[in-house]
Amino acid sequence: MSRQGLPEWLSTALPDHAAAPEALAQSARQQVETMGLPGLRDEEWRWTNLRPIHRGNFKTAPGQTAPSVTEAQPAEALPLDNPVRLRFIDGMLQGIPDDLPSGLHLVSLSDADEATRTAAFSPTPAPSADDPNDALVTLNTAMAREGVVIDVDASSVIERPIVIEWLDGATDGAMSHPRVLIRLGQSAQASVIEQSESVGDQPSWRNSVIVSKIAANAALTHIALGLTGPARLSTERCFASLERDARYHSYNMQLGGQVIRREYDIQIDGTGAHSDLIGLMMPRGKQLMDTHTRIVHAAADTTSNEHYRTIADESGRGVFKGRILVERDSQRIQAFQSSNNLLLSDTAEIDAKPELEIYADDVQCSHGATIGRLDEEALFYLRSRGLAAAEARGLLIAGFAQEVIDEIPDETLRYWLTERVQAQLGQHPDVAEA
Amino acid sequence: MALLEIKNLHAEIEGKEILKGINLTVNAGEVHAIMGPNGSGKSTLCHVLGGREGYEVTQGTITFDGHDLLEMETEERAIAGMLLGFQHPVEIPGVKNIYLLKEALNAKREAQGLDEVDTFTFMKQVRELVASMDMDDAFLHRGVNAGFSGGEKKRNEILQMLLLEPKLALLDETDSGLDIDALKVVSEGINRMRGEERGIILVTHYQRLLNYVEPDFVHVLYKGKIIKSGDKTLAHRLEAEGYQEILEEAS
Ligand SMILES: Nc1ncnc2c1ncn2[C@@H]1O[C@H](COP(=O)(O)OP(=O)(O)OP(=O)(O)O)[C@@H](O)[C@H]1O
Ligand SMILES: [Mg+2]
Repeated sequence: MSRQGLPEWLSTALPDHAAAPEALAQSARQQVETMGLPGLRDEEWRWTNLRPIHRGNFKTAPGQTAPSVTEAQPAEALPLDNPVRLRFIDGMLQGIPDDLPSGLHLVSLSDADEATRTAAFSPTPAPSADDPNDALVTLNTAMAREGVVIDVDASSVIERPIVIEWLDGATDGAMSHPRVLIRLGQSAQASVIEQSESVGDQPSWRNSVIVSKIAANAALTHIALGLTGPARLSTERCFASLERDARYHSYNMQLGGQVIRREYDIQIDGTGAHSDLIGLMMPRGKQLMDTHTRIVHAAADTTSNEHYRTIADESGRGVFKGRILVERDSQRIQAFQSSNNLLLSDTAEIDAKPELEIYADDVQCSHGATIGRLDEEALFYLRSRGLAAAEARGLLIAGFAQEVIDEIPDETLRYWLTERVQAQLGQHPDVAEA
Repeated sequence: MALLEIKNLHAEIEGKEILKGINLTVNAGEVHAIMGPNGSGKSTLCHVLGGREGYEVTQGTITFDGHDLLEMETEERAIAGMLLGFQHPVEIPGVKNIYLLKEALNAKREAQGLDEVDTFTFMKQVRELVASMDMDDAFLHRGVNAGFSGGEKKRNEILQMLLLEPKLALLDETDSGLDIDALKVVSEGINRMRGEERGIILVTHYQRLLNYVEPDFVHVLYKGKIIKSGDKTLAHRLEAEGYQEILEEAS
């Protein structure tokens, strides 16, 4: 079976110059031209139909955008205390704030030196340049023109949250391939929040890659909030490598968008390091929300904890695949994974698949995937206390989501998300009836 | 007028007849105990009274406080003053206990044309009740029954009853799984509910609850029918002799 190569609209959009060092960009261009986009026959894409992207006929947003576009604002205001804001409109960075806390350094990718750009395009674990499953990263390497580098000095604790606002679709039919590098020096701490929204109602596509390198004893909190955008298509890939005693805490909350695919590749390279992967996806209408995670325990005495929940309503589709690999000499590992899923309608669909590969023998590893309906007995219990059927239903669904939301460390954000999810559930026809 | 009047009640689950002609009248001010061997249909009766889906009433009538109960939704029954204490209270992680208590109270108040309870008064009342049930405030902020021990779940049922002050409390084996101290606390809670305007039905296997909460009537449910009714001495007899003799007498 021959591969099709890139759709023509995408092939002609391949730039001559990209932000990646030229040799990397050039070989990426060649690779991706022959590989094309991933398709249903590729193992990691079996449940993820990218047809809306294949057919999207997207265009790179013009470098100089009209003032009306550059004034785009996110619709949802996060309750954050004095955040450091990095606004990307269709992948173009709208400047770097100047009052940065000490220890934090930001530079746009296009202004970064060659060594930094090389780092941004050399994630660990390394994707494979000729594997179609990784084709979107290769495409990003070929196409990335813009992005940002976030550096935190050793021992610096950055209290202000760093917010990356992805505002997509300001230009109709825009696509973007931004690349972000986050480097935390030894014992540094920072939190990065990605807020994704579309500012138009026409289709848009963002294919972003975030590369995090977390040095010894440093801790990165990485929150993704996928918010409004009825026609927002987004393929997002996150790499994180952890040195000794490093921590990576990720929270992936997908509440809106048309096709959202997010992937995490975590390389736990240092003894004592820990990774949390927490996520909530709430597809409905015809939305597809998909998260693939891969964790490699490449060092002894490391731990990982993964907790994902999906609530699929109407014709929504949720996909979760979580792979855990424990290498041969990685002893005394604890790796926990759970994926709990709620189907609210007969036309909704959820696929959940754990995948464990364990080559060491001293390993505590557990995984569980459940897919269920609302608990009739719980519904009866709440109604027997006088709660209307619709309210009881809404409460159970919100309660199911709450157990993930409760894992978010910041109380204000947790509260905001609780209300945000409840409001979204309140729009559900069955709940609104009450 | 009786508070609850059940006449010739037949009900089935998945096509299988479980209740086969139950007659029972409970007046305000009365405490009734229902006893009977495992599988005789006691919980089924409670669920039918609560209006659980899947329990189909094929014959008979139930009147509750002047309403045709079978025409009412589960939540309407609750708002009209019926409270079902579950044999196995359901765990609902993610829904906070305190939230359920408040929503339940407000649902009832709304039906009575009252404003929502103000938070201060509500919290004060709830804290007092929690203390009276010998529970810790921390229970309020946990998920409903989530990870509660068997005894804690039962206390929680009584806590809800005390807050909601139902006209009819239907307590399905609230005494099962309680240690001696908890049994006392729960019994005191039930006795506090006892009053001229209220009816209480206790489903139980044990005399020990009835030592604390003395019933006015005791009924034996067997294979979907009440085969014998009497006063509290009937429970003593059951405790002493077991079911065998009474079943033989009845047949
Ligand atoms: N969902 C169901 N489907 C089929 N049969 C059921 C169902 N629920 C209950 N039953 C049957 O109905 C009968 C009565 O059960 P019920 O729970 O009412 O008994 P009980 O008197 O409460 O018993 P126990 O003292 O053990 O609590 C039993 O034979 C039980 O197996
Ligand atoms: Mg029972």
